Amino acid sequence: MISINMSLVYTIINLVVLYLLLRHFLIKPVTQIMEKRRKLIEDGLKNAENTQNEALQLKQEYENALSGAKEESIQIIEKARTTAKAEYDRIVGEAGNQAGSIIESAKETVRIEREKTMQEMQAEIAGLAVASAAKLIGRNTDDQENQDLYDQFLKEAGESHEDADND
Amino acid sequence: MEELSCETVFTLPVLGDISESVAVTWIIMAVLVILSIILVRNLRVENPGKVQLALEAAIGWAQDFLEGILGKEGRRYIPYLITVLLYLAAANTLAPLFGFKPPTKDLNVTAALAIMSMCLIEYSGIRKNGVGHWLRHFTKPVPLVTPIMVLEIVIRPLSLCMRLFGNMLAGFVVLELLKFFVPLIIPIPVSFYFDIFDGLLQAYVFVFLTSLFMTEEME
Repeated sequence: MISINMSLVYTIINLVVLYLLLRHFLIKPVTQIMEKRRKLIEDGLKNAENTQNEALQLKQEYENALSGAKEESIQIIEKARTTAKAEYDRIVGEAGNQAGSIIESAKETVRIEREKTMQEMQAEIAGLAVASAAKLIGRNTDDQENQDLYDQFLKEAGESHEDADND
Repeated sequence: MEELSCETVFTLPVLGDISESVAVTWIIMAVLVILSIILVRNLRVENPGKVQLALEAAIGWAQDFLEGILGKEGRRYIPYLITVLLYLAAANTLAPLFGFKPPTKDLNVTAALAIMSMCLIEYSGIRKNGVGHWLRHFTKPVPLVTPIMVLEIVIRPLSLCMRLFGNMLAGFVVLELLKFFVPLIIPIPVSFYFDIFDGLLQAYVFVFLTSLFMTEEME
């Protein structure tokens, strides 16, 4: 019943063989699969974390850019407003100056024109007076003729006066 | 009591007499290897089937349990310990349930297991701490205990061997006697206790103690 024989050696060989077989056929594949799954899950978690971090970073960047753009737009508007104001002032001032000078020159022209007209009128009146005097002297006719002459004189004078006004 | 003896089943030309326990061990080996080939065939990383989940749970439990005792450095010994666990579980429970005599009832088998465990225990210690440390640890804590410490090399596997052998032999003897005197119904719960519960417990204890001694040696 209790005896040590060759079975002991065979059992040791059996155990070693069984160990090698089971390690190759059972434990290694199962462990590999479990390891793979563990890695897969770990990778998945890591990826998710990375993606989240990236998204947060992008969000931060966008927010920064957005606030920067807002500030910039405010600056641009402010600048445009200032420029427009300066331009407006400049144009209005220029226009005022120009208008003043135009009015001034117009007044000057009118004054010169009037003086010229006056001189012309004086010359014409003098001529008329001379002509009418000559006529009165040259033709001593009746009252009716005298009356006509006066009328003609007055008419011519009036016409010339009107012409001068129209000029 | 012819059941107690280990008969020679057949004789091979070179190897000589092949005893019953070795023959049953071969059968168990074949069954374990074929089963593992079948179970491992369709492993998938995603969407594992129920069989795969059960297999992974079992292997994962054994690995976690042994790693908990041995620590990270002892990982390389885990496949062997799982092999012993599976072999003992199969030998202690399946063999009697299918009508074979359990191979662990043969002292040769348990002695072989114990010798393997002894080699593993000492090897793990030497590998971890070197030969010098391994030699020095016999003289600790005081040189006086050296003979006892040296004896421990033999005592530990001997206790493993005898515990397993005694349990299985006793269970077997009790069951055979019971079958002889009360062949009806009564042997069923007793068989459950001795074959399944005690068989699994002894497999667990053997592997547990081996790993515990290894940890002790690796300190």
